[in-house]
Amino acid sequence: MWVNHWADESLEEDPDDSFVRPYTITHGRTSSARDDLTLITVISTLTSPDGLIDNRGLEPEHRFILDQCRTPCVLAEVAARLNLPVAVTKILIGDLIDTGRVSARPPLAMAAGQRPDITLLQAVRDGLRRL
Amino acid sequence: MDFDDSDRRHPASAPAPAAVKILIAGGFGVGKTTMVASVSEVAPLRTEEYLTVASVGVDDVDGVADKATTTVAMDFGRISISTGLVVYLFGTPGQERFWFMWKDLVHGALGAVVLADTRRLQSSFGSIDFFESRGIPFVVGVNCFGGRQDRTVSEVREALDLDPHVPILMGDLRQRADSRDLLLALIDHLMAGQSVATG
Repeated sequence: MWVNHWADESLEEDPDDSFVRPYTITHGRTSSARDDLTLITVISTLTSPDGLIDNRGLEPEHRFILDQCRTPCVLAEVAARLNLPVAVTKILIGDLIDTGRVSARPPLAMAAGQRPDITLLQAVRDGLRRL
Repeated sequence: MDFDDSDRRHPASAPAPAAVKILIAGGFGVGKTTMVASVSEVAPLRTEEYLTVASVGVDDVDGVADKATTTVAMDFGRISISTGLVVYLFGTPGQERFWFMWKDLVHGALGAVVLADTRRLQSSFGSIDFFESRGIPFVVGVNCFGGRQDRTVSEVREALDLDPHVPILMGDLRQRADSRDLLLALIDHLMAGQSVATG
């Protein structure tokens, strides 16, 4: 396998390093068992009734996600702030969903089917006008 | 006798907002990140994905190495419409051939803004073809830095071979109001499409 970085701007990391390290974090897993996570799936950290976050026995990256998603955050933004590729971030978030530590809200456009709802479009338009 | 507490966990803060996305497309250096930066409430974020692609033109001595892994990057930003709704703007990677392999990027988008530069309109052909062939609604924004306009809207429409119903706007993408107006044009275009579709 050869490695080629492609982006609008060149990336300066060592390609070998940037490929190997993320999959060390996932213990060698290269794809998520879940196929329902998207770039804009909203991730929210769950707490116990007394407000505690269960991060026992977790890797630093998992802990970072739990901290980041105290305020709900989309998967792409979690990946960007973790500085990890989307595919790796999906694996880590999948771990947290499977153990009941975060919840995931799918994007609206997919839930509603092909055509966006007219009330959704009106809400977006009204919001943009306030910019 | 149920000791599993997972169903008693609560969100740490307010309920998750709904998220929608709009794609910002166009050729290399046409101003995608500039537009994202001008309207986003946060500095543009960068995310990456690994894509496995069939390699072309690579020495293939033993007949095994026909796959390659490529890192594709994109910049994105967000606009909070309300506490319950957030719009994400994704600047697409400049080469459309990667979009076919990154289906999550395009899937579920409300629509797209295709940016064009009058000095090299051909760099936007690929984006326009992509969205036209998939029936994804889009508008075209001609980036006029500092108000420079060396082509008219009708000249651009003709050069890009655009259908009459596709909106074209001229603007300076560094200006928040101009970038916002492009997004508003897309939403109006989507709403017009809705009224046609529903009679």
